[in-house]
Order: sequence, then C-alpha cells, then structure tokens
Amino acid sequence: MIPSFEILIDQLINGLTIGGIYALIALGYTLVYGILFMINFAHGEIYMFGSFAGFFVLVQLTRSGFAQQHVYLSILAAFVGAILVSSTLGVLLERIAYRPLRKAPRLAALISAIGASIFLQNVMMLIVKARMQVYPDIFPEDWIEIGSVSISTFQIFIILGSVLMMAGLYFFIKRTKTGKAMRAVAEDKDTAALMGINVDRIIVTTFAVGSALAAVAGVMVGMYYTQINHMMGFIPGIKAFTAAVLGGIGNVVGAMVGGYALGLFEAYGVFILPAQYKDVIAFSLLVLILIFRPRGILGEVVSERA
Amino acid sequence: MELLKVEDIHTYYGSIHALQGISLRVMEGEIVTLIGSNGAGKTTTLNTISGILKPRKGAVYFQGERIDPLRPHQIVAKGVCQSPEGRKIFTRLTVQENLEMGAFIRTDSEGIRQDLDRVYQLFPRLRERRRQVAGTLSGGEQQMLAIGRALMSRPKLLLLDEPSMGLAPVLVETIFDIISDINRQGNPILLVEQNALMAFLIAHRGYVIQSGRIVLEDSVENLQENEMVRKLYLGEEIET
Ligand SMILES: Nc1ncnc2c1ncn2[C@@H]1O[C@H](COP(=O)(O)OP(=O)(O)OP(=O)(O)O)[C@@H](O)[C@H]1O
Ligand SMILES: [Mg+2]
Repeated sequence: MIPSFEILIDQLINGLTIGGIYALIALGYTLVYGILFMINFAHGEIYMFGSFAGFFVLVQLTRSGFAQQHVYLSILAAFVGAILVSSTLGVLLERIAYRPLRKAPRLAALISAIGASIFLQNVMMLIVKARMQVYPDIFPEDWIEIGSVSISTFQIFIILGSVLMMAGLYFFIKRTKTGKAMRAVAEDKDTAALMGINVDRIIVTTFAVGSALAAVAGVMVGMYYTQINHMMGFIPGIKAFTAAVLGGIGNVVGAMVGGYALGLFEAYGVFILPAQYKDVIAFSLLVLILIFRPRGILGEVVSERA
Repeated sequence: MELLKVEDIHTYYGSIHALQGISLRVMEGEIVTLIGSNGAGKTTTLNTISGILKPRKGAVYFQGERIDPLRPHQIVAKGVCQSPEGRKIFTRLTVQENLEMGAFIRTDSEGIRQDLDRVYQLFPRLRERRRQVAGTLSGGEQQMLAIGRALMSRPKLLLLDEPSMGLAPVLVETIFDIISDINRQGNPILLVEQNALMAFLIAHRGYVIQSGRIVLEDSVENLQENEMVRKLYLGEEIET
C-alpha cells in the first residue's frame, strides 16, 4: 500500500515532534560527554523528574483555580519549576555521583550513573506510590487545518518550542563567555584552568544546562501524552542516547540532527514495520551505528590531545 | 622587589619524585630563565607554580602571599599566567575566542579590547586570522597565539614553557624579540627553555635544573662563562 500524501505529511509532523523531544534530551548526553567523556546514564531520570516537577506545579495551580484563569502563565510556571528541579538534580548528581570518580577508571563513573538512575527511579516510585499520573488538561488543544492536513497546536508548540530551545543553546555555546569556556574546557581542562577558568564551575553549568533541556522535554511530553510514570525516563533516555550517538556523541549539532533523524525514522518506520516495532527500530539503529559508524553522522568530537 | 618565591618544593607523580627541592625567585621587571634538558623538571616546576600540580613539601609565594594551596584559576586571578608547553591552544575555538579565553578572569571590557589590540599589534598575523579556527594555524602562529593568550590576562608574572619549541630559527628570533619587548613594557617573565643560547640573549638571570634539582643559579653573564653550562647547554653553538 502506498501511503497518501496526507499521511506522509502527518508522519512528518509526528516525526518532527518526537524528534525535537529526542534532540532536547540527546543534547544533555552529548554536552556531558563532550566535557567529561562519560555517559550520564541517569539523564533519563532527570528528564522524568522534570516531567513530574511540571506535573506537580500544574496540579497545585489547577487545585487553587489559578491555572483555569491563567493558562499560559501556569504552563510557564510548570516549565520553570521543571527546569529548577532538573537542573538542581543534575548538579547534585555531578557533585555526589560523578565528581569523586572523575579520576577513577571510566567504568566506575558508568556504574555510578546506572546506580543513580535506579536510585532516582525508586525515589519517584515512592513519591507517587508507583501510580500512573495524568497531566492536568489545561492546554487548549486545537487542530489547525492546512489544506487536507490537520496539525495539533500541541505539535506546533513542541516543534517550535524545541527549535527555540536549541537555537538558544546554540547561541549560548557559540557567543557567550560561559559557552566559549565550555568549549575550551571540553577541549583541554588543564589549559582552561591555566587561563583562569574555574573548570568545576563550568562542568556544573554543563550539567545544569543539559538538565534544563531535558526538563523542558519532560513537561512537553507530559502535556502531549498526558500520562507519566516513574519509569518514563528509561526508553526515551536510551533513544535520545541513540540520537546522540547517531549524530556523533559530543557533537552538539549532531545531537540535534540525530534527534530529528531518529524521530523521522520512527515516524516513517510504521510504513515498513507494525507500530509496536517502533522501539526495535531505534535499538537496531543504535547497534548498527555502533558497529558500522561509531563516530556518528557528523563525527564524534574528541579532543586532539595525545 | 621580590615577586615570586619558590621555596624548596618537592613534587611527585605518584611515587616518582620529580622535583627534589626546587627554590627560585623572580624579581619585579626581570626575565629569569630556567634551563635544563629533557625530563629535568622544568614543566613540572611551572605546573607546580600554576597550581596544576601540588607540591608535597615546600611552598610557593607570590607577592608575599602563599599560593600553592590555591586552585589554578585562583592563581591566575592573583596575576600568574602560564603559556604551557606545546602551545595547547584551543584548536576548535577561533583565534579571537582563544584570546578571549586568556582574558577570562577580567570584566573590564574596555581594557580587554585595548589588550586585544595590543596583541594584534604584536602579532599582525593573528589579526588577519582572528575568525579562523585556531587548529588551522601554522605552528609558529599557534605559538604567537599561545603567548598572546597568556598576555590577555594582563599577568603580573608571565610563565613561558619552551616558546621556541618546534619553530624555525627565524621564527624563534621573532618570538624572542617579542618576549623581550613584552618584558620592556614592564612584564616580569619566567622563561623555561632548552634553547639556552636564545634564552641567554634576553634573560637577566638564570637557573639550571638537573634531575629535579637546581644545580646552578647566576646572572646570565656568569652562566655564559660557566664551564658546565657551555658544555651541556650551549654545546657546539659556542664554537662558531
Ligand atoms: N604525568 C607524568 N607522570 C609521570 N611522570 C611524569 C609526568 N610528567 C612528567 N613526568 C616525569 O617527571 C620528570 C620531569 O618532567 P618534566 O615534564 O617536568 O620535564 P621537562 O624539564 O619539562 O622536560 P622537557 O624539556 O622534555 O619538557 C620526568 O622524569 C618525567 O618523566
Ligand atoms: Mg617540559
């Protein structure tokens, strides 16, 4: 069966929506890898905590009646709350789980990350009693008709929002003093310190920024799919990691490209494989990249030091 | 006036006793050179001063204040800036971004702009290439960038680790002329070199380091006359 034009466009929109989410999460993996050469396997949980933080904010504002009157302000509050919680968590994670192991073999930090991931999942499980939570439905979902294609305002919001966040990040890294210092530290920590850069502070900033992006993705996903639970970080975490590897781990633009590529792969994959094989696509892709092109599409950015 | 005082420092790499009691001083306005052969401990000495390495024994004082317990970025903030061995420029940053990183601790944007200008005047080549990614510079240009970058912090003391390494003789001369200029503009310099011949041309005093120990210290005039220095560090060049 040849899919109709409408369906192709529908899947393009779906792919860009989910791709933007993957890209936002993938950036966290890639930023941390770029600077510490480690995979922060608890990053999916930071995303999950962001989603829950946004959820708690919205629940409170809905209960008090504020959300019904000030929809956009409430959504903004949900994002701000999520960013604060996730960034704090990312910073604490670095302090407690990674910094003491910075000079240890890389495997130690990896195990520490997996431990932190399990720990955070269980913390949230205890907080919400392992129950599925439903995001308050305050965002007015509309459908915009363009010709014979209809797009949800949610999707437009997510697509534009993620592009905006990424543009902001790109500007931050390219143009600001802290962003330049992040690139300098990623390349050579000792020399960066010799220039007067507080390397630890830059590493903390990197965790905070990556976590903030994941928090935004978490709230978007909560609003879009409405149901969230304490396990929700696992699959998107691995998929975003796939996206980061696809684009070339450590490469910021690569993570963005990889996120969208994976989103579109999945969206168009349904024409070839039944929808329940969606996850299989991502993980087969991960295995294939790791075997045939471990440097990813745009190439891993590794330091040129001997 | 005494600017830097290194007092009997012992620095280790694990169980390797790399510095076995190094003491040296740099006075206001001086170029002091530290010469020695491969593996003598020159880089280790500079990195201990900069706080990258911590001495197990001994102390480092800058302007009378003890700095060895401080972290590297705090030592830069005190006014000690190093241009490390092998240039170590940030290859993925542009030339100008590299210079901006040198000025990282400063907040006076007007002063930074003036110093950028001064560095570009010292090294016109860098101005032409300021938007270029630094990894694409030639070796000599990278050395100019490394020195310029260190100057951007407006250091009270400049530490240079083998600025002549890997450069063609003509370029070595240019670089040393500039180092001398920088000093005449008021910057004290601690210059680490294997190229003793060149270092002696511009330095006021010198130390000779062997296997982690200072074996000789004197004015450059006296060092040049010294039998051992002539044999070991000036080699055949003295014959011509
Ligand atoms: N990271 C390290 N780990 C172990 N030993 C080291 C390390 N760095 C230097 N050393 C050892 O410490 C001693 C001093 O080294 P250092 O780099 O200070 O020498 P140097 O005088 O700068 O030599 P060169 O002229 O070759 O740069 C050498 O014996 C060297 O092998
Ligand atoms: Mg050396």
